[in-house]
Amino acid sequence: MNTGDNCDQLRQEVRTWLLENVPAGWRDAMTNVGQDAFVALQRMWFEKLVRAGYATPHWPEGWHGGGRSLSDQKVIFEELARADAPRLILYFVALYHAACTLFECGTAQQREKYLEGILNGQVWCQGFSEPNAGSDLAALRTRAERHGDRYIINGQKIWSTMAQYADYCLLLARTDSSGPPQAGLTYLLLDMRSKGVSVRPISQITGDDEFAEIFFDDVEIPVENRVGAEGDGWAVAQATLASERGLTLVELTQRMRYALPRLVRSMREQGCEDDAVIRRDLGSLVVNIDAACALADQYLTKRIAGAEQVGDASVVKLFYAKTLREFASLGMRIGGLESQYHSGFMRGATQETGHWMLDFMNSYNWSIAGGSNEIQRNIIAERMLGMPREPKSWQVVEGRP
Amino acid sequence: MSVELNELQESARKVIGGAGLAANESATWSQLVELGWLLVSVPEALSGLSMGLPGACILHSELGRGLSAAPYLAATLAVDAVCQSGFSDREHWLDRMIAGELVTASLAESGVQTSGKHLCGDVQGVQSADSARHMLVWTAGNELVALIALNQPGIDIVVKNTWDQTRRLFSVRLNDIDLGEQVILAEGASAESLIRRLLVQRDFALAADAVGGAASILAMTVDHLQTRIQFKRPLAMFQSLKHRCADMKASIDAAEALLFDAARKVRHEPDSPDARIKAMGTKSFATTMFARVAEACLQLHGGIGMAVEHPCHLFLKRALLNEHLGSATNVCTQETARVLMAGTR
Repeated sequence: MNTGDNCDQLRQEVRTWLLENVPAGWRDAMTNVGQDAFVALQRMWFEKLVRAGYATPHWPEGWHGGGRSLSDQKVIFEELARADAPRLILYFVALYHAACTLFECGTAQQREKYLEGILNGQVWCQGFSEPNAGSDLAALRTRAERHGDRYIINGQKIWSTMAQYADYCLLLARTDSSGPPQAGLTYLLLDMRSKGVSVRPISQITGDDEFAEIFFDDVEIPVENRVGAEGDGWAVAQATLASERGLTLVELTQRMRYALPRLVRSMREQGCEDDAVIRRDLGSLVVNIDAACALADQYLTKRIAGAEQVGDASVVKLFYAKTLREFASLGMRIGGLESQYHSGFMRGATQETGHWMLDFMNSYNWSIAGGSNEIQRNIIAERMLGMPREPKSWQVVEGRP
Repeated sequence: MSVELNELQESARKVIGGAGLAANESATWSQLVELGWLLVSVPEALSGLSMGLPGACILHSELGRGLSAAPYLAATLAVDAVCQSGFSDREHWLDRMIAGELVTASLAESGVQTSGKHLCGDVQGVQSADSARHMLVWTAGNELVALIALNQPGIDIVVKNTWDQTRRLFSVRLNDIDLGEQVILAEGASAESLIRRLLVQRDFALAADAVGGAASILAMTVDHLQTRIQFKRPLAMFQSLKHRCADMKASIDAAEALLFDAARKVRHEPDSPDARIKAMGTKSFATTMFARVAEACLQLHGGIGMAVEHPCHLFLKRALLNEHLGSATNVCTQETARVLMAGTR
C-alpha cells in the first residue's frame, strides 16, 4: 500500500515501457507451439527486461538493475501482471534462486563467475527434491563424496523445473549421513555439461514436460563450487527458498484478477451469462480473488516493514492454490462438455489461460509443488497456531491388520 | 444385493481386473460380447438375462473401476432401444448387435431436429463412432428415435480430442438425412417415453461408472499412502490424510447405496418421470463425488500424480468428463428441487 511519489513515478515508467514492449499477441504465439518457440520467446522477453533493468530490481545496489526497494519490486510485478506480460519461467531460478543464493552465501569469486552469465541468459535449475525426499526434503540421499579438490556426486534428483535447458544446477547433496538429516547436507553449483549428468524430462498430465529428473553418475564438482561450508547446505537452501520473497504471489494473485474477463467471455460464448448458479459461483470467486490479492499484498507490506512472521507465506500460498483451483473449476463448469476437449496448449502463461482443463491440471503445480498444501497446513498449524508437532519417533507397525 | 447380482459382480471384477487398467478397447469389447454382457438388461422373452437396471449398474461400475475403453454404454442404449421398439426387423438387428456389431449412441445432449422428412443437427459425445456402422439418435424435441447408417452421404464424423484418454468420443453432424431411408424405432408419445427410458439408463450408467472409478482410485491412493515413506513413517500414519480417505470412503459408499437403491426402485418402470428424477439425482451426486474424489486422490499422490506414467490422472480426466456427460448437473439438481416443491403444499 505504498503510494509514495517514487513508487508512482516508477509505476508510470514501467507501465509506459510495458505498453511499448510486451510482445503483441504472445498468447496466440505460445499456443500449440513446440518448446523451441517457447524458449525463443522467453529469451527475447528476458533480454528486453534485462536491458530495461526490470529483470533484476532485487539485485543489490551496484549490480545491473539492482538496488531497488521491495516496494519498487512490488510495483514492477504488479505492472507485469496488469500488462499481461509473459512470465519469465525459464529464467526464474537463475534470476532469483541462483542469484540471491550467491549474493547471500556465495563468495566474491562465485558472484564474479556466475552473475554475468545469468544476465547473459544462462539457465539454472534447482536440484533439491528426490524420489524419496519430497515433502521430507532433509531425507535426501544424493551423495557428494570429497576426493581431494573435488566432490564426486552419485544419485538422482526429480521435479527440477526446466532442467533440460539448464546450464547450471543448484545442487543439494549429502556429505555426511552420521548426524541429524539436515546437518549432513552441502550446497554445490553444478555445471550441467559435466560428465555423468543425464536429464530425463517427465511427461506431465498436462502434456507438457517442464519438469525433469536428473541423474548423477560419478559427476565431479570442484570444491570451489561449494556455497557455504561443508554441512551448511540446509541453511544455504533456506536462502534459496526465501529468495523470491512473496513477489511471485503478488504477481500471480493479481494475474488471476486480470484473467476474470476470460471467464466472462466464456460465459457469453456458452450462452450462460444469465445462469443464476454460474453467476453465484462467479461472484464468490471474485471475492475470493480479492481476498487472495489483499492477502498477498498484506504479506509483502509486512515484509517491507520487516514484520513478517513465520507462516505468513504459507497462508498466502495455500489460499492462492485453493482459489486457483476454483478458478479453473468454474471455467470448466462454464465450458461444459467443450471444456473436456483439448482446446489448445499455452506455454509461458499462468494457470488461467482459458483452456480450462489445462488450467485445472496446471493448478496442481501450486497445490503440490514448492511445498504442498499439506506442508503449508503443517507450518500454519504448528508454527503459527502453536499446535504440537507430530511425535518424532513413531513405532512403525509392520504388516496390516 | 441378490445372489445373482453378486455373482455377476464377482465375475465382472475378475474379468476387468485381469485385463488391467484402461485395457485395449477392441480386446475388451470382444471379451464383453463373448461374455454376453450386452444381454444383461435384455428381457427374457428376447433371450436376455433380464437383470434390468441393477444388473447394468453392476457392469458399468466394474467397467468404471477398470477405466474401460469399450463403448459398452452406447451399445447398451442401442440394444435397449431396439428391444423396446416393435419394428419388424427387430430380432435380426438384435442378433447382429449381440454378436458384436456396434451400434453406437451419444453420451451428451441431443442437438438433432427433424425438418420435414429429414434429420439435421449435431450429435456430440458419440462413443467410438469409427467402429460403428450405425448410430442410435433421438431428437431434442423428443418426437423421434431412429437408427441411422453412419456411412451414408450427409454424415460428417469428427474425432474429438478429449482429455480423457480412456474413451474415444466423436461428434457426428447430420446434414438433411432422409428419414425414409432410416430405421425408425419410435415416434410421437412412444418416442417420448423411450427417450426418457434411454436417458434414465444413461444417467444410471454414468453414475455407476463414477462409483466404480472412485472406489478404484481410492484403493490405489490408500496403497500409495501405506507404502510412501516421508518423515520416517508411511504417509498413512498422518491422521489428516487418513481422515480425508475416510471422508472419501463415506461419500463413495453413499453414492453406491443411492445408485443401487434407486436402480431397484425404478427397475420396473424405467421410462417414468419418477425414474428420470431419480436417475438425474443419482447421476449428479455420483459424478460430482467421483470428480471430487479423483481431484483429492491426485493431490494425495503428490508429485507422482502429476506424471503421465502414473494412472492417477486417467481417473481424474475420466471423472471430469463424466460430469459433463448425460444430464447436466445444474439441471439435475434444479429438477430435483422443482419436483419436491411442486409436490409440497
